[in-house]
Amino acid sequence: MADGAAPGMSTEPTTPAGITLSQEGKGPGSEQILTVNFGPHHPSTHGVLRLIVDVDGEVIRKITPVIGYLHTGIEKTAEALRYQQAVTVTDRHDYLSPLFNNLSYAMAVEKLMGVEVPARAQALRVIMCELCRISSHMIWLGTSGLEMGAISMLWYCLRERDKILDLNEEISGFRMHTSYIRPGGVFADATPRFLEMCSKFADEFPASVDEYESLLTGNPIFKLRTQGIGYLSREDALRLGQTGPMLRGSGVNWDLRKNAPYSGYEKYDFEAAVETAGDCFARYQVRIKEMRESAKIIRQALDTLPDGPVNIDDRKMLPPPREELDTSMEALIHHFKLFTEGYSPPVGDSYAATESGHGENGCYVVSDGTHKPRRVKFRSAGFVNLQSTERMALGGMIADMIAIIGTIDAVMGDVDR
Amino acid sequence: MSPSKTALKGDLGKIAVEHGVIAGDEWVTVPAAQIREALEAARADGYSFFSFITCVDHLARDGGEAPFTGSWEGDPPRFEMVYELRDMERVRLIRIRAFLPADDPVIASAHDLFGPANWDEREVWDLFGVRFEGHPDLTRILLPDDWEGHPLRRDYPVGGDPVDFSQEHQEWQTAPPRA
Repeated sequence: MADGAAPGMSTEPTTPAGITLSQEGKGPGSEQILTVNFGPHHPSTHGVLRLIVDVDGEVIRKITPVIGYLHTGIEKTAEALRYQQAVTVTDRHDYLSPLFNNLSYAMAVEKLMGVEVPARAQALRVIMCELCRISSHMIWLGTSGLEMGAISMLWYCLRERDKILDLNEEISGFRMHTSYIRPGGVFADATPRFLEMCSKFADEFPASVDEYESLLTGNPIFKLRTQGIGYLSREDALRLGQTGPMLRGSGVNWDLRKNAPYSGYEKYDFEAAVETAGDCFARYQVRIKEMRESAKIIRQALDTLPDGPVNIDDRKMLPPPREELDTSMEALIHHFKLFTEGYSPPVGDSYAATESGHGENGCYVVSDGTHKPRRVKFRSAGFVNLQSTERMALGGMIADMIAIIGTIDAVMGDVDR
Repeated sequence: MSPSKTALKGDLGKIAVEHGVIAGDEWVTVPAAQIREALEAARADGYSFFSFITCVDHLARDGGEAPFTGSWEGDPPRFEMVYELRDMERVRLIRIRAFLPADDPVIASAHDLFGPANWDEREVWDLFGVRFEGHPDLTRILLPDDWEGHPLRRDYPVGGDPVDFSQEHQEWQTAPPRA
């Protein structure tokens, strides 16, 4: 405990584990306040989230989220890797939306290097990110439905998600941690088969969303469990720094793709999904609408996919094409230097943010002029969004807490990094 | 690289000691003692949305250098606090920097100015050992309570077993001593 807390601060653990009876916390009309430990290994916590809940009967009086159970030292690992190697860790902290973290890292490094990726690479990035948003929302929708008693939701959602994983596999060779987007472009050009599969998916997907909606939107049990539950006002959402569906569900029209476009999002015609009710059902509607808009963006991006290279033509940053290695001495030297030393951005720092399925996922990269980053910080949407748990759940029932944790859609790997 | 500080308007311009743009991002350095005034001024100027707080350890290797953005007098400071704020109306970002010394880095807490700063400050304390004065619950957030040290400091080892490489053929044939 020597270094565990700041000098002058209490070094006692905040709350003992398990159940304790607090004698002083007698509320009006109640016998006793019961402190209950919830998680970390609970199926509805979407990973390993621990909540210490003070309940008065069934009513929640206090919630203290305890995180860190999935802390894997991603940022420290990234510091020990070269710039092109660090892409691989960006996949792994938010394992449901790896492409967004690839993209924010790649954009931050590209800003430092002062390069601009070709139009085709930008369009492919948009396609992959929107597919990733759908697959991330699929997991959210399936598990949230499951927790609300709509068990078959998970099966349908995993069916659609599997198609997206097939698309990932087709374009990058990996199903989940693709590392597809990397500084300077993308891993590989889209194959004709990918374009065909993706086009088919974009056409068929809106019908699948209709199917989900027919299962949930009019479902009286689902509505009872989500409407008016977990209310977050517009002011609170802004004050608590919420982003993504959490913010748009409370009536704030803020979407980085619209408000601060990156990677060519300004070229596509789509709407930011906004609902004003501020409850779990509103956030559900936001995500459903977002999925439809994503399918629209994918369709447009496929139709307008420009020709050309998918990587920048800079031998100091990306390796030469394989064929050149057989004939060009210079290409061999570049290849060797790149894979033994890597490249070194100039001294400086940059921040790039993307609108992921969870909110603003950004990456802050500091360069000290060497071939490894001095610091890589991931701005995690889940980490910030999770802080609104108490605001939303206070005064509600324990059973509502499940709906509320589900609606935050925090991926614990992303929260703990 | 550093335009004159008159480019910054309002109170933030008065507090700023240096101001510039790097890789397209606007930044401003303020004295660490005035961080709260700077954040308040930035918030009044429209930067009301909090993106993140983090810290950067600029510890240099023995005899080496660890260059970074900004200028200072005397010995280079070790820790740099970074506050990234967003203006949602005019859609712009600003990065507020404050430098802290290597010994006992302390800075005022901003948890009451920006709500989500609460957990970010706990994270910086946990991983860098920067103390936030006035924080209501400055405890470890990601690591266990009994963890020793602050792992994102540059002098904290990455860990793992060292692998000894050898060019001597004889050594390949013999098992390592601890095997």
